Amino acid sequence: MPECTNPLWSCAMTGAASCLAGFRGLSVVIHGSSGCYYYPATLLHARLYGTFILENEVIFGTEDRLKEVIESLPGDTRIAVITTCVPSILGEDIRSMLSDQDVILVDSPGFIGDVEAGYRTALATLAPVVDPATSGINIDGASLFDPFSRGNVQECTRLLGIAGVPVGTIFAQDALHKVWKAASFTIGTNEDFRSGVGTYLGGMLGFSEIQATFERIAGVYADADIDPVCREITEERERVIYACDKYLRRYDPPTVAIFAGASYAQFAAELLNRYLDATILCVRTRNEPPPGGRYPAARIAGLSDVRACIGQYEPDLVIGSSFERSVCPGRAFVGITPPLRGRVRLAHQSLAGIGGTLHLTEDVLNACMDRKPAVH
Amino acid sequence: MTLKPSQSNSCRYGGCTLTGALSVTTHVRDAVTVVHGPAGCTHHNFSLFHATSLDNDAPVIPNLVSTGLSETDIIFGGEPALDRTLDSVLPSNPGVIFVLSTCVVDTIGDDIAMVCGKERGVLVVPVPTAGFIGGTFEDGVNKALIALAGMAEGSRGTNARSAGNQNPGNHPVSANIIGEKNLEYELVENYTEVNRLLSAIGCPVNCRFVHDLTSARIATLGDAQVNILRDPALVPVGEYLKKRFKTPYIRSFPIGLGSPVFLETVAEVCGAESRDAVARELALQVETLGTFADLRGSTISFAPALVDPKAVSAAKQLARALDMPVRKNGLAVPLPTTPPVGIAGVRRLLHRWRRAIHA
Repeated sequence: MPECTNPLWSCAMTGAASCLAGFRGLSVVIHGSSGCYYYPATLLHARLYGTFILENEVIFGTEDRLKEVIESLPGDTRIAVITTCVPSILGEDIRSMLSDQDVILVDSPGFIGDVEAGYRTALATLAPVVDPATSGINIDGASLFDPFSRGNVQECTRLLGIAGVPVGTIFAQDALHKVWKAASFTIGTNEDFRSGVGTYLGGMLGFSEIQATFERIAGVYADADIDPVCREITEERERVIYACDKYLRRYDPPTVAIFAGASYAQFAAELLNRYLDATILCVRTRNEPPPGGRYPAARIAGLSDVRACIGQYEPDLVIGSSFERSVCPGRAFVGITPPLRGRVRLAHQSLAGIGGTLHLTEDVLNACMDRKPAVH
Repeated sequence: MTLKPSQSNSCRYGGCTLTGALSVTTHVRDAVTVVHGPAGCTHHNFSLFHATSLDNDAPVIPNLVSTGLSETDIIFGGEPALDRTLDSVLPSNPGVIFVLSTCVVDTIGDDIAMVCGKERGVLVVPVPTAGFIGGTFEDGVNKALIALAGMAEGSRGTNARSAGNQNPGNHPVSANIIGEKNLEYELVENYTEVNRLLSAIGCPVNCRFVHDLTSARIATLGDAQVNILRDPALVPVGEYLKKRFKTPYIRSFPIGLGSPVFLETVAEVCGAESRDAVARELALQVETLGTFADLRGSTISFAPALVDPKAVSAAKQLARALDMPVRKNGLAVPLPTTPPVGIAGVRRLLHRWRRAIHA
């Protein structure tokens, strides 16, 4: 990455931690400095361990310190070690150091990439296994990095439940042993954190996608009864249409700038365009957008790019993180992108599932009405 | 934190030197801070400062520029990236550019001083940080404050004061606040309390070094009669300023019920009168403790936490003042992360104790 003012996205080490720390029965050790430890520890709200290495260990080697920490960990869990930048640069053979320990070693220094790269590296290191004997449907896309992750899982679990479909393994928010006993099929809550495990049946962002995904579930899971889910989609879609129509009776559709991960960005753009006739002025993503999305997206790295973009397009509504909120005073704002600072958040809100679409719609309408956009 | 730190390795848990230094340099509002390292280090800190500023109702965006070192830079050296980044920030006409290093660049051995020494038409101040290799969070704060104090050359205060005569010309007295914890959740409240006390003895604040100021303001650093350190960890900074400007220092903000002594000490250093202010402060303490009379006799214990030992001492002092026995089996009440500042800090802590006793 070239020089960048106020980088917006976390590093690969944080991404690896956001994956591994989601699994119960796994103690995650950040092998690096205290600075590398404190950020994921506070952002992810997860129990993490650290080696907190010092200068003399950089000079003379980190083996003793790493072993000291590992030996102090609870004995009833497996251990994962994530290497940060300095141990990676030092080039120590950590795998050999720990050859007598049952340790999962994830080499994910921050400089190799961003949070998604670290997440993928960590999950690939765990090497999930599909067990054809496991019943149900896996849910993937969960990441402690995503403030909507827990809500997404709850909502998808609810929907699978009312369809009579058991939940397989939740990536990455489940018991560790289930990583190696995953079901054969998977649905996704956030495609930026795809697991690649099993046959992918579709995502859970937006009514149309949910409907299509459940129809595929019915095709592969004979005992599924998707009618209750389809009825709920129909009912809730009507409520969304009614609320958006009521808004449009008084106000012009908002013009919108979206700053998010690629998956959530496309979801938000589609929702607002379809139900609110919103004009999507720009979609700027934190990660590399996949080619061919309906709404052309481009990746940006720093807050100065965000500021320039908002200045250029002058949107009524900004969707993004609290970084974006801080540079768009006076504009309607809805937060879907981490970090979401400066707000108390206790409930597990979702973006995936039927509840997620309702949640985003009501947030957008309330934000726009609070700002009272001009009537032309 | 989940590993209990032992005394012998407590410096492991002292936080990142880079973060400490950034907590200082980002409060020079016309400055740009360049962080020489991978983008992740800058993001982590930017995100932290963003959160803290929102907590403190001061949503100022610090200008943190990362050199964005990639794997290739790490292999072949990061000096060209730093040189390129410094050139890239010049068009924004910063008052000063601070260059902070990360542990990565110290590990690969970049010569930062050499790159910063190149003439660019703007002051470029390297601050030796380097993450954990540079020391602890507090070391980073101290290094940054000392580096910034070096910018105050030519201050009027340098020659205005002589040893043993703190106010030779009977100038209006004033105090500098040194090393406020800019990431502290109670930052605003603690400053407000100290400012209230200083106002009570007619000693306004000259310079908050460093909190929300411009680089030009730093030049006034030598004008005050006394430097008030936020806490004793800043003594190296106090000593540096004493040597440079002959300004005496007070080691700490007033802790717990220590405000009357604080008033007397500051007044004595500045040659100000404090008797009435001390009497009013003592009366305020009695009145405040009186509003928590319902807590008297409650048996409490202190919830285990990694806190400053002085916070424990202050809490014990409060428990004694309110006749609250401290026993192992007592009701657990919270300890502050840092010692409560003045009677305002005491009042907030006692509300938390009351909440713990009720719920």
